[in-house]
Amino acid sequence: MPQYVELSIDGATVRAIKGTTVLDTALEYGICIPHLCHVSYLSDIGACRLCIVEHVVNGRSNVTTSCTLNVQDGMVILTNTDRIRRLRHNLAELLVAQAPNSRAIQDIALRCGVTEVRYPFRNEDCVLCGRCVRVCAEVWKARAKGFVGRGKDRRVDYPFGVRPDFCKQCGSCIELCPMTITPCDGPMKPGEERLCGQCESQLIIADQTPGSCVWCKLGEGFGCARYAA
Amino acid sequence: MSRLNSFRELEHLRQQLTKQRQSIATTVMVCGGTGCQASRSQEVVRAVRDELSRQGLNDQVRVCVTGCHGFCEQGPVMLIEPGNIFYCHVSADDAFEIVYQTVMNGEVVERLLYQNPVSGKTCRTQAEIPFYRAQERRILSQNRMVDACSIEDYIAVGGYSALTEVLRGMSPEEVVNEIRSAGLRGRGGGGFPTGRKWTECREAPGDEKYVICNADEGDPGAYMDRCVLEGNPHLVLEGMMIGAWAVGAQKGYVYVRNEYPLAVKHSDIAVQQARELGLLGENILGSCFSFDVEIARGGGAFVCGESTALMASLEGKVGEPRPKDVHTAVDGLYHKPTTLNNVETWANVPSIVLNGSSWFASKGSNGSKGTKILALTGRIKNTGLVEVAMGTPISEVVFDIGGGAVDGSPVKAVQIGGPSGGCLPVDKFDLPIDFDVLSEAGSMVGSGGMVVMDEESCMVDVAKYFLSFLQDESCGKCVPCRLGIDRMLEIITDITEGRGRPEQLDLLEELANTVSQTAMCGLGKTAPNPVVSTLRHFRWEYEAHIKEKRCPAGVCKALITYWIDPDKCTGCGVCLQACAHQAITGAKKEPHVIDVQRCQKCGICRSECRFDAIQVV
Repeated sequence: MPQYVELSIDGATVRAIKGTTVLDTALEYGICIPHLCHVSYLSDIGACRLCIVEHVVNGRSNVTTSCTLNVQDGMVILTNTDRIRRLRHNLAELLVAQAPNSRAIQDIALRCGVTEVRYPFRNEDCVLCGRCVRVCAEVWKARAKGFVGRGKDRRVDYPFGVRPDFCKQCGSCIELCPMTITPCDGPMKPGEERLCGQCESQLIIADQTPGSCVWCKLGEGFGCARYAA
Repeated sequence: MSRLNSFRELEHLRQQLTKQRQSIATTVMVCGGTGCQASRSQEVVRAVRDELSRQGLNDQVRVCVTGCHGFCEQGPVMLIEPGNIFYCHVSADDAFEIVYQTVMNGEVVERLLYQNPVSGKTCRTQAEIPFYRAQERRILSQNRMVDACSIEDYIAVGGYSALTEVLRGMSPEEVVNEIRSAGLRGRGGGGFPTGRKWTECREAPGDEKYVICNADEGDPGAYMDRCVLEGNPHLVLEGMMIGAWAVGAQKGYVYVRNEYPLAVKHSDIAVQQARELGLLGENILGSCFSFDVEIARGGGAFVCGESTALMASLEGKVGEPRPKDVHTAVDGLYHKPTTLNNVETWANVPSIVLNGSSWFASKGSNGSKGTKILALTGRIKNTGLVEVAMGTPISEVVFDIGGGAVDGSPVKAVQIGGPSGGCLPVDKFDLPIDFDVLSEAGSMVGSGGMVVMDEESCMVDVAKYFLSFLQDESCGKCVPCRLGIDRMLEIITDITEGRGRPEQLDLLEELANTVSQTAMCGLGKTAPNPVVSTLRHFRWEYEAHIKEKRCPAGVCKALITYWIDPDKCTGCGVCLQACAHQAITGAKKEPHVIDVQRCQKCGICRSECRFDAIQVV
């Protein structure tokens, strides 16, 4: 028998199974919290920080990631305040400036209200969300790749840079990579430094009904809880 | 020495040792801290020992290599008892004079005494020196009595009596309550109330608990933990034992940086000695308390000073922080309740137990009690370790104890708390050293590093230095820290290289705000502090860089040019020869000229010029 707890998310009282995270609960109830590194069947590391929420304790609100926050009885969570939207916007802007060619990240950025990027674009291929590393280690128990280096030198690589034989090239990592998911319709070409705006229609929906699930394409590709159900 | 099986045996040993010490007429204490070792204190020790055996005084005079005395600027330093005579800048050649005059004849060697630079008077004892007089040395003063490698020394000065008191008649609750009412707060940076941490850990479910001593100090210019651990490792161990008794832990770890070889060595020796005496291990002093300590060496990652990263590193994983939604006091090392404290916090524990919480709280300000060790470095006369009561104004530390800036130039700012702290301008120097006040002012006490800066420091460049340090040391796990710091550094580099735009300042502020609110661990959350505090207190300097393309302090190379004042230049040709890039031309006895195209702005010519003719514009 699972134990249940009751918590409040954006003013709505919801019931959740003890031990689940706030993000899973919110998604299940159709409260869409943008997320990138979270995959429902993998452990959470809280790397992308997009799923931040305000956790109100004794009148003071802490900003924390909902994917690593376990539900507790009587918890008060706010997912869509001005403060959170602002912070999320800034985080998404950092991400999209780093990897503007990923459709998934462009979608997230637009969903978080980024229409203009204030940093020079970098055109990198990896945002170190760690989905590939975790799927390899947790689902296939292969640990064929991992994080190497620290800080700005951090990257995903095979042990000592050589593909080990226990990597069966199953492709799970590629499937989960935000760079390959639903390839972008209008990828940014060198010199053409702007967001393409193909996904702006989604932004309009998100604007009209903030905080609600818009059944985005993104969710489908990312194995969003709504699609899985 | 044999194992001690009861409190009485420890007391007996202490009495024996004190009696032994009384029979020794003279003690020569030489500082063996890293600072003094670098200025060759080991040679001094050897020379004094040789000289003593030549005079046949080996039995009557004890030479004691102690921990850091704090006044590193004057190293190697030496103390001679009786008389409490303080010698500084001692070299091996002085050994004969010291032994012949002071030890044998009781006379003072005048030229080795400290001379007060203001009044010109010589000072015989530490108490007369302004550097020491203004301090409140509760922890550091114990350093000078004790040879770090000798548990006998520590026991002779009353060591492990706090442990006896605790095991004899204090329940764990009483110990925790004592620490609570003392108001001790974490000395490592955050200032979290230690009592509350212990209570939480004590009440957490589970039989297996841990205590950890965090000696992974990595702030540039800070070295107080190193000196405490090097100079008096048993004090830290005793604190850990009391903490373990209070929270119910059976195992402790000292996580010390491998870059501190002396601290590693001394704490290793201390643990072995304590084990031999039965002060660590099963049934300590015949009580029901069992506890052991292991020394773990850190690989040198700055981020491993963060509690969860440190624990990951201890577990053998990559030293990366993990989300701390549940405190480590409940879910810590190996997911067991863990109490992690800084070296200095542990070192405060025995004296609180011995003297009571009201004694501890008698010094300090409203929110911060006790004393704090600060590492005074930068452009200041008296560099060294300073221990002052909490609540002491910054000005007292910088001017009274530190003696002001080198060569008398005005002090511009002080950077408190390492890379996580902030810069405070000279008009904020009346602020007290207090956890809450300083964090409100945009800085923090942090671990206690104080870097003093004078007019020749560019605050934008300072922020850039700390950002690049943090960029190297960030683990890179979460987006705000990895990309946020990177982008902040990008913007600041733009500003220092003359590409800054006015709107970038607002972006910088917003980004700093985002990083501090959303980063995963303490390192990331405090990483923007150098930027925020310099922007707050020195905004005009940023604006000068952006609008006027000028570096007021003359540091940022892209914004300055070197120029020879033709009125002052005598055409001596020194600069011409010194320039490695052949950028200076001019005939003999004629004013020289710098070729701006060729000049690499290294500044060698300026330091060579004897007529002050070369200027930065």
